[in-house]
Amino acid sequence: MAFLDNSGDIILDAVLTDHGRKLLAEANGDFVITKFALADDEIDYSLYNKNHPSGSAYYDLEILQSPILEAFTDNAAMLKYNLVTYGNLELLFLPVLRLNETNGDWSRDPITNSFIVCSNEETTDNGPNSTSFTAVGVDETNTDRTGFLFGTNLTSGGRIQIDQGLDTTQLSPNNSIGDLLENNYTIQMDNRLGKLATITGIQQAPDFVDDDNIAYYTVGMRGQFVSRIANINNAVQGQVISGPRGSRVEFKIATTPDVQSSNYLFLQLGGTVSMANREASGTGTSSCYFIDTTVKITGQNTGCSIDVPIRYVRLA
Amino acid sequence: MTTLKNLTEDTTTTRTLLHEAIPITGSIVSGTYNDENIKNYTHGMLQSVYDYPYLSSSANHIFDITTGISTQSPLYSSITTVDAQQAKKKNIYNQMAQLLVGYDVTGSVLQFDEDGNIIAGGYKIDDAIIVPFSRLLAKDEIKKESFSLELGVDSLYAQPLNKRITISDVSASTEYRVNSPVGEYGILYATQSAAGVGPYLNQTSEHTASIGGSTYWYAGLLYYQAGIMVLTASVFGDQLRTAGIGGVDLEYLTGSSTTETISGSITGSTIQNIADGFRHRIYNLQFNNTTELNSTIYFCRANYNEFNYSSNPTYLENSRVRVKNQASDAPVSYITTVGLYNDNNQLLATAKLSEPLKKTPSNEFTLRVRLDY
Repeated sequence: MAFLDNSGDIILDAVLTDHGRKLLAEANGDFVITKFALADDEIDYSLYNKNHPSGSAYYDLEILQSPILEAFTDNAAMLKYNLVTYGNLELLFLPVLRLNETNGDWSRDPITNSFIVCSNEETTDNGPNSTSFTAVGVDETNTDRTGFLFGTNLTSGGRIQIDQGLDTTQLSPNNSIGDLLENNYTIQMDNRLGKLATITGIQQAPDFVDDDNIAYYTVGMRGQFVSRIANINNAVQGQVISGPRGSRVEFKIATTPDVQSSNYLFLQLGGTVSMANREASGTGTSSCYFIDTTVKITGQNTGCSIDVPIRYVRLA
Repeated sequence: MTTLKNLTEDTTTTRTLLHEAIPITGSIVSGTYNDENIKNYTHGMLQSVYDYPYLSSSANHIFDITTGISTQSPLYSSITTVDAQQAKKKNIYNQMAQLLVGYDVTGSVLQFDEDGNIIAGGYKIDDAIIVPFSRLLAKDEIKKESFSLELGVDSLYAQPLNKRITISDVSASTEYRVNSPVGEYGILYATQSAAGVGPYLNQTSEHTASIGGSTYWYAGLLYYQAGIMVLTASVFGDQLRTAGIGGVDLEYLTGSSTTETISGSITGSTIQNIADGFRHRIYNLQFNNTTELNSTIYFCRANYNEFNYSSNPTYLENSRVRVKNQASDAPVSYITTVGLYNDNNQLLATAKLSEPLKKTPSNEFTLRVRLDY
């Protein structure tokens, strides 16, 4: 998309998204616009210069000169960062989402810095009595590798844990987060590759899947995905939020039948990589197909978000 | 706290008619591309005109040309050769007439009426050159009283444009017909253009009307919604009708043989040849089309106390708002994008501002987002 002409009057360039056009074509009553949101995806607030020598009129000079691109039609590519309404206009701190990696069970793979999802049993673990050692989900001592999620064996393997709160040392974690507590989250992931599951292995149905095969899940305090962070004492291990703490999202990823049983998507979207396997020597490797993607978690009320890198792997 | 706001009553619908000018110069349809933009078919029932050599992917189909003859025409029985395509010309006429004029109470196809007054009888258009315009040009309809076709009627084929007549739907914006099965249509009238020395039209013709004190010759019908022009072939000859409108029986096709007058062409030539002759005499063609835009307007109101913070990652530095020095400072955000959602929070439409709008608690905005259908 090109930049919009900003030399004259302010214009508004509006388009239907591809998903909007799909709903319009389906004519099932879902194409009814009832809400709006505002966003500032292009704005880099680090350009806001509160110390500009010419005064406050110049603080945002560079921001206001930001060229704006025409609207994209991909619904997943637009409105990544929404403007937020808070009743309190004197907020100095706002909540963020942080990946909690304080335990090996919910840490990323240290080699790829992503969570690795084993697509099937064969990739996860050949089994303790097997003479084959090609699996990459466990190490030579049959211990689950750090950062590995098991897409078909959801009762074991790692998980993903996201914490919400005010990540600042300027406020004590003993303070209440108050109205800034996030209760509901939207989780977006590629529906061709994975499905959302609780940490006990129960799969969740998506709210909807858009035309680009992105599944949208809503999870909240009432389900098994979101909980209040119980320990507010900073000395307690397992915390990544330095200040007042809010809620925690935990989940696993189940692999789809396509990813479990076929190389097709791996050949289309990914490549091959050599990964350490469970050979007793500790030096054995297996060739694996992989697909790199992300899972996006967004707070529905606060708008704060985080992209978690995911790598799906399958024995080649 | 929220990122979405309900629109409630803040929507309205409007209908707008959008017009485009469509100018087609005669050299485009005959000359510039050595007829590489003209597509003929083995069935020979019509000829298609493109705005560029039609084998190119850049070419757009702009209109077709065909010829129809009524079985009531005095010329009909004179068509005796296979090449003259009597059956095909008759079929074209009947097909167009049943579509554009309809049937009488007995189920018989009505003929094209020169003044649109079918009940009163009067003169019919027996021999017609029919030009259906592509939807790309006509869009939803041709704008009334915008149509103008300038034709060369010099008797010599070699210099056809030295004398010209103009065919237009004079006063059609207030004087059009609605007794067609395909919507509204106007009467096309011919007048003499300024170029050359007349007369170009039959001064003793009975096929005339007085509009605004001036004399006009009935030249055909223009179906606005269907985008089809039905032109009487008699604009090219004075022998075609009883006291026809043409000023002279000109050389319609190449050469000077009498068989190549318009009447000779209808009785002796193919539809393709007649289309070639017609293109050769087009000097200029123009009209305005109409697109009916139905719009929904969403008034997205950001009140003073709304949308003053951002979830943009750069908005915070260690969770602290960058644009504030202290808590009592007014928050600032910048609007670049509007998203429209349904009840399930599915993003249905987006809009981008051409420059960021600064939002603070001391200002309010109403962003008017219009979606056209």
